[in-house]
Amino acid sequence: MSELFAYPDDREEASAAQVKALEALLIEKGVITGSTVDKVLGYFESEMTPLNGKKIVARAWVDPEFARLLATDTPKAIAQLDLPEGMAGAEGEHIAAVVNEPGVHNLVICSLCSCFPWPVLGLPPYWYKDPVFRARAAREPRVVLAELGVELDDDTEVRVWDSSGHSRWFVVPARPSGTEGWSEEQLAELVTTESMIGVALAGPAA
Amino acid sequence: MAVDISTLNYDEAGHVKFHSSCSVDLEQPVFDAEWQRRAFGLAVALSEFGHYAWEDFQRELISAIGSWQSAPDDEKGRWEYYQHWVTALDTVVRRHGLLEEGYVNPEDRD
Repeated sequence: MSELFAYPDDREEASAAQVKALEALLIEKGVITGSTVDKVLGYFESEMTPLNGKKIVARAWVDPEFARLLATDTPKAIAQLDLPEGMAGAEGEHIAAVVNEPGVHNLVICSLCSCFPWPVLGLPPYWYKDPVFRARAAREPRVVLAELGVELDDDTEVRVWDSSGHSRWFVVPARPSGTEGWSEEQLAELVTTESMIGVALAGPAA
Repeated sequence: MAVDISTLNYDEAGHVKFHSSCSVDLEQPVFDAEWQRRAFGLAVALSEFGHYAWEDFQRELISAIGSWQSAPDDEKGRWEYYQHWVTALDTVVRRHGLLEEGYVNPEDRD
């Protein structure tokens, strides 16, 4: 093990070769076909994107009934929206929303393995998987948030949600002020991936 | 090299950097290299088609990352998330016998 660790560039090459060999062997064995991986990747890259999360949050901002359901039964709420097939499927069944409200700010991390609510947020940004981000966000979330530009009142409680295979959290950020009467499409534009992880706020209203 | 987790810097573009190789920037590509993308797709595909439960893969991933984190600093090497992903993938494929003679795909089982 230590020998492998001593040659980082070789390790990168070794990993690349290992993936290639694994896929080739699995194709040869008939476990998958030559197009299986491309199909799955294509689906992820075209359908499972933060656009879904933006639509969900915008609906929650304009529809209190939907917002309530989203907080209590997230998959059921998401199923009501016209989102891509499979939203409630693989890994989607464990998606759970946490809602920012006055006095409460939510932050999502995954301290073990970087679980992420793929169907609503797409694939995680690089830093989400970083050991330093994970460790610091768990240990001193308020400091990390301040460094990222999220200034919270002292009496605002920070809740850190550690994702796992059973719960893949995403944050419903607070609706920015000055957006009364905006359409869902306009509101969705204010929702960023960062705000749905909890490392930023939504908005501001233009 | 030990990662210094006590300081925070900003890069030229104004993005927060947790350390020299990690800045908070959503414009950054999700994958640094094609092999990472394929490793991701392969792990998801095998689970999607019923060859193993996602939890089984996840367990191996947690274990691979855990080994890296508990290794002595001078043996750790650079953090590379997808290296652990590949280790986990390899382990779960072998543990479930996917490459063994006589393995039958879930859709072909009685």
